[in-house]
Amino acid sequence: MRKIWDFHGGVHPDENKTQSNGLAINVMPTPKQLALPLNQHIGKAAKAIVDIGDYVFKGQLIASAQGVLSANIHAPSSGYIKALAERILPHQSALSGPCIIIDTDGKDEWIELSPVANPDSLTKSDLLNIIQAAGIVGLGGAGFPGSIKLQPKHAINTLVINAAECEPYITADDRLMREYADEIIVGIQLVQQLLDQPKCLIGIEENKPEAIAALATAARQNSNIEVCVIPTKYPSGGEKQLIEILTGNQVPQGGIPANIGIVCQNVGTIKAIFDAVMLGQPLIKRITTVTGKAAANAGNYEVLIGTEVADLLAFAKVDLSQTSRLVLGGPMMGFTIQDTNTPLVKSSNCILAAADLELAPVADHHACIRCGQCEVACPAELLPQQLFWFAKSEEFEKAQDHNLSDCIECGACAWVCPSQIPLVQYYRFAKGRIKALNTEAQQAEVARERFETREQRLSDEKSAKEEKRKTRALAAAAAQEAKRAANPNAEDPIAAALARVNKLKQAQHTTNSPILPEDEYKALKTAAAISRTQLKKTSKALADALAKNHEQASDLQQTLTALTAKAAAAEAQLSAYETKLGLDPEQEKTLQAALAKANGVLRKLEQRLATAADPEQVKEDIIAAKSIQETATHTLAQHQNNPRAKAIPAEES
Amino acid sequence: MALMNLSSPHHHSLSKTSRLMAWVLLATLPGLAVQSYFYGYGTLINLVWASGLALGLEALVLGLRRRPIMIFLTDGSALVTAFLIALALPPFSPWWLTLIAVLFSIVFAKHLYGGLGNNPFNPAMVGYAICLIAFPVSMTQWPAIEQTLNFGQQWQWFWMESIDGGIDAWTGATALDLMRHTNGLTLNEVALDNPQLGLSLSVSMWVNLAYLAGGIGLLAINAFTWHAPIAMLASLGFCAGLFHMGEPDLYPSASQHLLTGATMFSAFFIVTDPVSGATSRKGKVVFGIGVGILVFIIRTFGSYPDAFAFAILLMNLSAPLIDTYTRPKAYGHKSSKSSSQGDL
Repeated sequence: MRKIWDFHGGVHPDENKTQSNGLAINVMPTPKQLALPLNQHIGKAAKAIVDIGDYVFKGQLIASAQGVLSANIHAPSSGYIKALAERILPHQSALSGPCIIIDTDGKDEWIELSPVANPDSLTKSDLLNIIQAAGIVGLGGAGFPGSIKLQPKHAINTLVINAAECEPYITADDRLMREYADEIIVGIQLVQQLLDQPKCLIGIEENKPEAIAALATAARQNSNIEVCVIPTKYPSGGEKQLIEILTGNQVPQGGIPANIGIVCQNVGTIKAIFDAVMLGQPLIKRITTVTGKAAANAGNYEVLIGTEVADLLAFAKVDLSQTSRLVLGGPMMGFTIQDTNTPLVKSSNCILAAADLELAPVADHHACIRCGQCEVACPAELLPQQLFWFAKSEEFEKAQDHNLSDCIECGACAWVCPSQIPLVQYYRFAKGRIKALNTEAQQAEVARERFETREQRLSDEKSAKEEKRKTRALAAAAAQEAKRAANPNAEDPIAAALARVNKLKQAQHTTNSPILPEDEYKALKTAAAISRTQLKKTSKALADALAKNHEQASDLQQTLTALTAKAAAAEAQLSAYETKLGLDPEQEKTLQAALAKANGVLRKLEQRLATAADPEQVKEDIIAAKSIQETATHTLAQHQNNPRAKAIPAEES
Repeated sequence: MALMNLSSPHHHSLSKTSRLMAWVLLATLPGLAVQSYFYGYGTLINLVWASGLALGLEALVLGLRRRPIMIFLTDGSALVTAFLIALALPPFSPWWLTLIAVLFSIVFAKHLYGGLGNNPFNPAMVGYAICLIAFPVSMTQWPAIEQTLNFGQQWQWFWMESIDGGIDAWTGATALDLMRHTNGLTLNEVALDNPQLGLSLSVSMWVNLAYLAGGIGLLAINAFTWHAPIAMLASLGFCAGLFHMGEPDLYPSASQHLLTGATMFSAFFIVTDPVSGATSRKGKVVFGIGVGILVFIIRTFGSYPDAFAFAILLMNLSAPLIDTYTRPKAYGHKSSKSSSQGDL
């Protein structure tokens, strides 16, 4: 006898299996219509390869897998494609998704099948191809495409067959094992062949004695297959829990069973593999339990994938008026549906039509008193009470730190909670929010990167321009320098200009020949302008140097101080001269503006003269404008001449 | 019938917090009976008074906090607090002492911190400790065992604080008092000087055994795990045994420590409070050990003869820290530290 280990926690809810496990599997007749969702598995949706109006045979491929993580879908019966339409999917969200709708013709006519007569002759890739082509996914619940687990990257020493069926009420696997034990053993051998003959352990809860006996009988010839009877405890059928029960090893966090040399397959999946290889039949049907007090004919039914819940419920004589809760799956992990037109998919193992009060009533929940019963029950060895606080207060980082992601949502904590807190719902909320926040963070990260790249590009462009300008400035400075070097006596332009003025003055003094005041005024103006420009340039250079923390900053600062003094001196000389002359630059500007305006008016009038309807009138206007312009010219001239006359009386005399 | 949209699991063990609380109340009954047998009607009168007060105050505060009164009132937690206070207070407690203890328990220690489940300190112990510090005389009036008051006398004392012959005639030192304040005598000499010590010890033992019985009952129905109470008793017994081995004349034995004062009552009814204690089972062990050691230290070297209120409040303070360092290793993890990978 193999040692059977235990896993932490777990609960013992009422099994409620006898309602449905007493009768043989009942084959449900082909319904009039089938609705096949394109995504019945984890991964990418399959792509429909049929058109409306096409006739399809039973078993014909109607939607092909897209990529590795996807699965083929076949017509469960013969008939016409009625529509490619959205239907409500079997999911808690009750969202709809694309489905292929088939109107069955009742003939149930198979496409030509190619069963394998001698499976020993098949290569691994042949086998894998058959399994993949048959659209086999995990029938235990998650619907993980089956062929992926069967091509592991690690060496596999143990094949674990999950026959625990630990959820209360569900007996589909139980009946399947009782009635198809031989087929299951052959299916296991096929998988063993694929995985290089690992030891096979079938984990089955002790509450299924008939199934245990049937499997033991079927496997008695094969020493490499062992039926392991395990204690009844929920959730022993969790993949990780079952592996620990049978091997004593835990699947490492974040890893998969293959990391420790194990592949785990549901017993229903094994039967589907048998059908695919030995009968050539793709996955188009499954065993589904219909149970609950509202079901008059509770039992197990062989249904075609795509059968609507309503059709199966009618066949099992479920009184919907007595049902307050329709659960797809078991009472611990299943989800409620409200629309009975929802189709059954490959992973639909049970419909629980619960009468009022059959399941836990909806109760107001009390405060968490941290009694710790949830911790005792948690098979993932978490602290559910802490996770609850963190989820409730939206402290998601702490929740993650307490390994929220390791929660398998088995519901054991909520089942024991004396305060009847819907703990799993809190965990789902937290997981969903964390996922959304992660997505948001990723999007923000992308946006930030894009923004930074753009900023970088703009600043690169700017600095390139700056660089160019600097190069030009340097070249100009160098040219200046060269010029100065070529002519070392050349003085700086301001001094030169002022010197010229002084020279003129001196010349006047010595020779007594009059200097033209215009010349002197011009020279002073030039000196002031040059000093202004130099000042501007230097302060800009200084600002640049300061901004870049350049070492030349202090030199520039000195130059700037000197230049400021010089500029002030030049401006002072200019304004002194202006005062002496009685020049008023502001008034002169006003007068110039008036003249310019008069000129403009005149020009416009002359233009209008060419096209005007009344040229006489325009001519008069022109004459008026001309007189204004003349006045303005005159005033300006007077203004300019007057001081000069005042300033240089010698000229007149 | 309309189909409901509910989140899994759809099944429930149908266990209830209120039922848990009811079990705790039931489990106090042996202790209550034995205590009343030896000390008279005081505890019973206090119990009724405290229960009425606790329910009234709970309803009042729930109303002020706009919480659904019936849902929370029926969880039974206020009643449990009232029971614990009444059992912990001396039977000679007058009405106002109990009122103050209950007021601070329910209103201050519990509701001002957010109500049941959010209180960092054990409410009953907060009320008890406040009274112990504020009214030390009233809090040490334990009845002498040889002569108990009849109901009328007790009733009169409870309301009027008057009694024939004065209260001193009716009170006596507890065993812990005698053993704590030895005035330099050895324990044997104390026993010789005080013939009532032997009687006091045996009464105390019966009371403790009664609470132990209640506690074992609660363990049997999984009202709590064994970790905190057993760890506390073990550490107290270990410390006492160690000192007693060294100086048997000065230090009472482990069994005397375990079966006097409030040891068993605290071990199974106070230390087990899940709200204010440590969370994980490992944490509960640490919590229990801490309480045991503190009780021994205060009983032996402190100025109070018994020490549970202070020891438990101190460990309540440490509970979050303990929680941080005693997280269990999750399935598939290499250590108890989180190795979460950032996203799901």
